Order: sequence, then structure tokens, then C-alpha cells
Amino acid sequence: MNFMTALNKEFLEQRRTRKFLIALVVLVLFGMTSPLMAKMIPQIMTLVPGGEAFAGLIPDPTINDAVAQYIKNVTQFGVLLALVFSMGAMAVEKDKGTAAMILSKPMPRGSFLLAKFASLALTFIIAVVIAGVAAYYYTYFLFGELNILNWLTLNGLIILYLLVYVAITLLYSTLTRTQYVAIGLSFGTLIVLGILGGLPGFGSNFPDALISDASMIMSGTPVTHWTGLWVSLGIIILSLGAAWLAFRKQEL
Amino acid sequence: MDINGLAIIQKYLPLIIPIILLELGLLIAALVDIIRREKTKGPKWVWIIVVVVFNLLGPIAYFIFGRDE
Repeated sequence: MNFMTALNKEFLEQRRTRKFLIALVVLVLFGMTSPLMAKMIPQIMTLVPGGEAFAGLIPDPTINDAVAQYIKNVTQFGVLLALVFSMGAMAVEKDKGTAAMILSKPMPRGSFLLAKFASLALTFIIAVVIAGVAAYYYTYFLFGELNILNWLTLNGLIILYLLVYVAITLLYSTLTRTQYVAIGLSFGTLIVLGILGGLPGFGSNFPDALISDASMIMSGTPVTHWTGLWVSLGIIILSLGAAWLAFRKQEL
Repeated sequence: MDINGLAIIQKYLPLIIPIILLELGLLIAALVDIIRREKTKGPKWVWIIVVVVFNLLGPIAYFIFGRDE
């Protein structure tokens, strides 16, 4: 069995278990609702009893508010889905013995692991691309035109951010036999990286910088410091490499 | 500014309808899956309530944690 066959099998599994459907629906929903909420919330606020007093104080929503909502919602919910979808990818297959069964056929363990990552990556790439199209349409309709090149870059950075956590969770899923331990460790890593990413100056070297870079690009501020991007790519490669090294030596 | 809730909804209705349809689609997909599945992790009736009551999160929770493969 080669890599492409394994990838086809894994992606079929993503669709069969409805993970693909969930990622698609959730991210597309946030793609649609983010610009809509940015537009509607200030208007709804004026309807709340006593809200009339604030009517003049709430600034008119701008296209930047819509983009900020989109970035916040898609990354927050996307990363949760990335953790949940990846937690059992290796741990459950090892625990149930399906990994041993599949690997009894002539198939390198590296291909097995890489196919897992690639199928999850494919799920998130397709979901973010469609969510991006939906958000673009809604933002265009409600606020006006967005710079397409900047929008594509923003969505590319969001995808990379999600893939960092897919790779990290896949590593923990390989190292453990319980999916809940894997997601616990991933959640801990998410918090630690989030804290480190929030440190002034130093924080721009962590994956969270991808999110601030995405905001900067959309607001027209040029990004000069791309360390966060390279560190994110490095984390993905290192996590997959470490997972492969550990998986090679594991008894199934 | 004289705006009422209905006017806001009417104004944005063409943009709200696809969102409702998408959520409804996920809810129906989850319900069909529960009914057609021989058994689920936990009682079926609990999952039906969860899916119907908790908009969006209910179907997601069912698909991730409720399906007995």
C-alpha cells in the first residue's frame, strides 16, 4: 500500500466519521456569521432596554471589525476541532489494533503517519477555503470589497496555524495510547504557546504570531517579521518527525 | 435611529437564511444518523434531545462522541 492509497483511505474515513462535514459546516458557519454579527450587533445593542443611550457611542462597524471577528472565530473553533479530530488518529488505531492490521500489509509506518496528517490537513484546507469564500461574499455584501491577495494570505496563515496543532496532537496521539491524554497534552501546549505568544516582543516568534500577522496584513500594515511563520513550519516538521521516530519503534 | 428587531432581521434575511439552512442540515443529518444507527454511545433518546436542544453544538457532540462505530 503506498502513500496515496493510505491518504485515500484516511480521507474516506474523515468523510465517513463526519469529521469532514463538521469542519466544513462549523467553519463555513463562522465564515458567514462573523461579518453578519459585526454588522448587526451594534444595531441589536440599541434594541436592548437602555441601549438607546449608547446608540451614539457605538461606532459604526467597519470592514476591519468583520475581518477581526472572522479571524477570532475561525481560529478559536478551528483549533478546537483540530485537537478533537487528531486526538484519536493514532492512539485509537493502536489501542483497537487496526494500526497493526493495516501495517501487516507492506506499508511504511512513515506513510501511515503522513497519510493521517495529510488527510486532516486536507479536511482543514477545504473547510477554511470554503469558509473564506463565504466570509468574503458576506463581507463584500455588507461592507465592501476586500483585497483578494491579502484575503488569500490571511486564510493561508489560518490554515498553517491549525496545522501546527494537528501536528502537535498527532505527536501526542502517537506517544500515548489514550486519546484523552493526547488532547489534554495538546490543550496544555495550546495554553503554553498562547501565553508565550502573548509576551511583548518575544511573542512574535510563536504560532500565535500567525494570527496577528493575518490581522496586520488585512489592515494594510506590512509584516516585516516572519519568524512566527518559520517557527510554525518548524513545529509541524519536528512534531511529525518525532512522531515518526517514536512510531517506528513502537510495538503494536 | 429608529430600528426594531423585525426590521433588522428582514433587512438581513437573505444572508440569515443560508445560515439557518446549514444548521438545520447538520441537525437533520445527526438525527437521521441516530435513528438509522443500531446503537449509540449512551441512550439514543438522550442524543436526540442533545441534538435538538443544543443548536450546532449538539450535532457536533453527537458526531464526535456519540457514534458507536
